[in-house]
Amino acid sequence: MIRGQNIHKSFGNKVVLNGIDIEVCPGQVTVVEGPSGSGKTSLLRCLTLLDYPDSGVVEIDDVRYDFPRTNGEAIAPPYPFVTVVFQQLFLWPHLTNRQNISLAAKSRNHQYENKLLDLIEYLDMKDFVDRYPNQSSLGQKQRVALARALILDPKYIFFDEITSALDVEQIKNIISLLLDLKGKGIGIFFITHNLYVADKIADRTLYLNNGKGVIE
Amino acid sequence: MDIFEILSEYREGFLSGLAITIKLCVIVWLSGLVLGSVLGVLGTKWNRFIGLPSRIATFMLSGTPILVFLFWLHYPLQEILRIRIDPFVTASVALSTINIFSVSEIVRSSIADLPTQYIEAAKVCGVPTRDRLIRIELPLIFRHVIGPVLFIQVNVLHMTLFASLISVEEIFRVCQRINAQIYRPIEIYTALALFFLTVSLPLNALAIAFKKKFARDISEK
Repeated sequence: MIRGQNIHKSFGNKVVLNGIDIEVCPGQVTVVEGPSGSGKTSLLRCLTLLDYPDSGVVEIDDVRYDFPRTNGEAIAPPYPFVTVVFQQLFLWPHLTNRQNISLAAKSRNHQYENKLLDLIEYLDMKDFVDRYPNQSSLGQKQRVALARALILDPKYIFFDEITSALDVEQIKNIISLLLDLKGKGIGIFFITHNLYVADKIADRTLYLNNGKGVIE
Repeated sequence: MDIFEILSEYREGFLSGLAITIKLCVIVWLSGLVLGSVLGVLGTKWNRFIGLPSRIATFMLSGTPILVFLFWLHYPLQEILRIRIDPFVTASVALSTINIFSVSEIVRSSIADLPTQYIEAAKVCGVPTRDRLIRIELPLIFRHVIGPVLFIQVNVLHMTLFASLISVEEIFRVCQRINAQIYRPIEIYTALALFFLTVSLPLNALAIAFKKKFARDISEK
């Protein structure tokens, strides 16, 4: 389980997260909602240790990190055991979709080819897997970003508002994918503005506003 | 006397001028590409101690006409220091300095402009630091840099003409001397123009080919 306890984060005088508690469990979906600027992405970054909280505790599968760091002990990056699908996806533009997916896997697992073929099938990417990201539609790129995360066999995936630019059909596809991943035991942290999506997939929902969080 | 007769008659002079021009170009190109890249990378890493002074130097050089800089290195500086340096060395130093700072600025700004999110995406995918550098950072920076850097190298070739003004026996000066003897400016300067076209066009073609091969439009539509 990934757990954040009493997470505080400020940028200058602006308090973005003010004592947030949250859990992301394997096989469950934690949805985070809130208005723009309410600290959703900051919370994602703190929980995945892309940024460090000003204070609080982040626990990743029983490894506990206390903030602020006083003992100077280095933080072992939890990736790709924990991975992130960003809102703008950030596929590497000079690589084809196939190379995007295989780059990370190549350096970790030399037997990734079969998994790649399975993912191409699973996410229906055959028609565009050899194109470049800028030759693919948004929905296609999202599938590539998802495949890039899934090929690493992560235990937890954090999604940052990936449904914000999608149409209804694409959103339905994402929902069904997320439910499938949840069924496979992957812990999902999902930021969204879309109440329909939240309703369909959430096991727990954290509503963020003015740095405070309310769990529903 | 037509162009070919002039070229044949004075071929030794032309060839020696050509050799000097090419030698000068190679020195300026190599120093610019190697030292400029190193300076650009170091300037990104140590912005305060290397990046900032390098940017100030680039700014100052961009505001100084090349000819003034070349003359200043050749006459007043050597007078102040009470030394006499071969004009070829002075021209090499002047043009290399300009090339080094121009290339370093392109490299530095390309590194600075590289979206950190691509690196972050690699990080969360567990791509090791070495692969991140080789497969993501360097190719993206290279694509950004290759066009402008090659364009500058073509300009540097043209800038070598200024070396003639401090008595470097490069091809332009050779042409001037031959013209002073036989006064056939149309033929001589046409031959010179053809020479520069012969060297510049393949370079431009190379720049376009590189751009096509490495700098495919990767922007999101």
